[in-house]
Amino acid sequence: MNKIDLIRMGAKNLWRRKLRTFLTVLGVIIGTTSIIVMLSLGFGLSQGFEDQMSQWGDLTTINVYERWVDPSMPKQEQVKLDDAAVAEFKAIPNVTAVSPTIETYGAIINGRYVSQIPIKGIDPNSMAEFGFEVAEGRLLESSDELTVVFGGRMSQQFWDPNSRVWREPKIDLMKDRMSLTLNPNYGYEQPGGDSPNYKEYKIKAAGVLVEGNWETDYGVYMPIKEVLKLIKDKEKAEGARPQAGNRNQSQYQNINIKVNDMKNVQDVQQTIKDMGHEAYSLNEQLETMKQTAGIIQGVLGGIGAISLLVAAIGITNTMVMSIYERTREIGIMKVIGASLKDIRSLFLFESASIGMFGGIIGVAFSYLLSFILNQFGSSFLGNFFGMGGESKLSIIPIWLVFAAIAFSTLIGIISGYGPARRAMNLSALDAIRTE
Amino acid sequence: MEDLIILKNLKKIYKMGDEKIIALNNINLSIKKSEVICLLGTSGSGKSTLLNMMAGLEKPTKGEIIINGIHLEKMNENRVTKFRQLNVGFVFQSYNLISTLSALENVSLGLTFKGISKSKRDKMAKEMLENVGLGDRLHHKPSQMSGGQQQRVSIARAFVDNPKIIFADEPTGNLDTKTTFEIMDLITGMAKENNQTLIIVTHDVEISSYANRIVYIRDGSIEKIKQNEIITQGEMANEANL
Repeated sequence: MNKIDLIRMGAKNLWRRKLRTFLTVLGVIIGTTSIIVMLSLGFGLSQGFEDQMSQWGDLTTINVYERWVDPSMPKQEQVKLDDAAVAEFKAIPNVTAVSPTIETYGAIINGRYVSQIPIKGIDPNSMAEFGFEVAEGRLLESSDELTVVFGGRMSQQFWDPNSRVWREPKIDLMKDRMSLTLNPNYGYEQPGGDSPNYKEYKIKAAGVLVEGNWETDYGVYMPIKEVLKLIKDKEKAEGARPQAGNRNQSQYQNINIKVNDMKNVQDVQQTIKDMGHEAYSLNEQLETMKQTAGIIQGVLGGIGAISLLVAAIGITNTMVMSIYERTREIGIMKVIGASLKDIRSLFLFESASIGMFGGIIGVAFSYLLSFILNQFGSSFLGNFFGMGGESKLSIIPIWLVFAAIAFSTLIGIISGYGPARRAMNLSALDAIRTE
Repeated sequence: MEDLIILKNLKKIYKMGDEKIIALNNINLSIKKSEVICLLGTSGSGKSTLLNMMAGLEKPTKGEIIINGIHLEKMNENRVTKFRQLNVGFVFQSYNLISTLSALENVSLGLTFKGISKSKRDKMAKEMLENVGLGDRLHHKPSQMSGGQQQRVSIARAFVDNPKIIFADEPTGNLDTKTTFEIMDLITGMAKENNQTLIIVTHDVEISSYANRIVYIRDGSIEKIKQNEIITQGEMANEANL
């Protein structure tokens, strides 16, 4: 029996019992749709987490800081964050940039307006590699001295300490004359107080970063060597003596590491931890959240799978019924020359077709449902999952489409296998005696 | 003439619970090529069992079935099916047509399993249906045809690929006398025309007159074998026409 005849005959048999075929296919449609939609919610959730995390900061950056070592524990040595560590990190595969950072706190003075902000010292040459982008001006250069790059939302951070009512300050970060002080109480000072004599530095604006990243929106960036100088000045002004243990302290507060791809972040982070440092990355958080999303997806998919299981039983039932009805026909076919393989193929073809059509229509249905969910369900379910409105609630990756069709076809074949064997093993003689 | 079918010490025992029923006991029979042979016996004599065994539909408990030099009893079901597909045609008492298929489709169904292309098998089936006088009933369903017409479709199906052996199990059991003779004439005429071996199972002595040899079967054994010289009704008619 050739393939075309098999298909023709199988299709005819299915068509002969249109209603029953339709109902069985409907079961598979519902099963496939529920699996796909449930899984798509999981993918949407996972993607939502990722979108959200990338707002919080860069997902390919690792933040290295000192591991706290219990001084009472012998044999544990403090691994320092210094230039040697920077060089070591640069040698790790997949690392594209390394920048030591130091952060202090100060105020920017712009006429009568003041902004208290973190002052971040970084390696000026690594800014581009770390993904900093300017909306205006330029990034830092290694020759810059008292020059800053402003965070993306800095223009909204100024206020007038002497005014009782809030007025929107008119600030032009690039053009206004501004100065910087490390006085932690600037603008809050009590008159007549005995405060140290902090220096005020005139600063130049190199640029303003683009908005949209919580990590870089607030604060100013300066070359790290400048920030170190400012801190020394501040200590001098405060009259602080160099502390005894200072020599043992690390040169830098933090070292930031940029990794070439998200998928390598975990490995690099582990390498750094193995060196004896403490490391943090948003990526690590994301992995944890993705695992959560994966579990939710598994549960949802499991619920969907139940309906596909029911559909599979439906297919088996339909095929068994079909064999009862067609017992005589099967017997006749066997007597007039149908081989065992022909009979089995015929029944498997029919059940596989039910599975496949159910799968195909199920995919189409899933897209429709997914579209509706994304259009109308976001505001409702989005809150439930704690996601922002921009993220899609339901995402159907293209591989899922093919996997779903292949899977439903496979379900059809598996469901039909028992009945097909049964048909194949029917005694031709008994079958044709059936009236 | 060579022996096409040889049965040696054929035995068939059915088990019904603890009881054993001997359906066939020690059958020895040779059937020649192009022979028309009739297995005559009452209901329950074992004649149908014998036919089913020669057609490979049932396995003997003991003994040998040699067809064209091949031992049928040693074949597995796949090979028996293949053998049937290539060598055997069937005509049944109850026609055994598939009710959802038209006459043409019923006849061409067996050809489908042989992998013959649709255009070719439709042509073969159409020719055969014309031969049995149903050229104008090609697209009728079995339910739209009389018993005689249905049996003609079944005959067309049996003969369509020119098999070596035709088995006919009470082919006229459901038909009236006039149709019975028409059908018997048709079936024996076609078998003779193509030098096919025809094995008819019946309880009807009148039918047995169409055979070259009559094998009387009683209680699972061959009672006697009679050579038959009587010419068929069809041949009588032909001679009358000449």
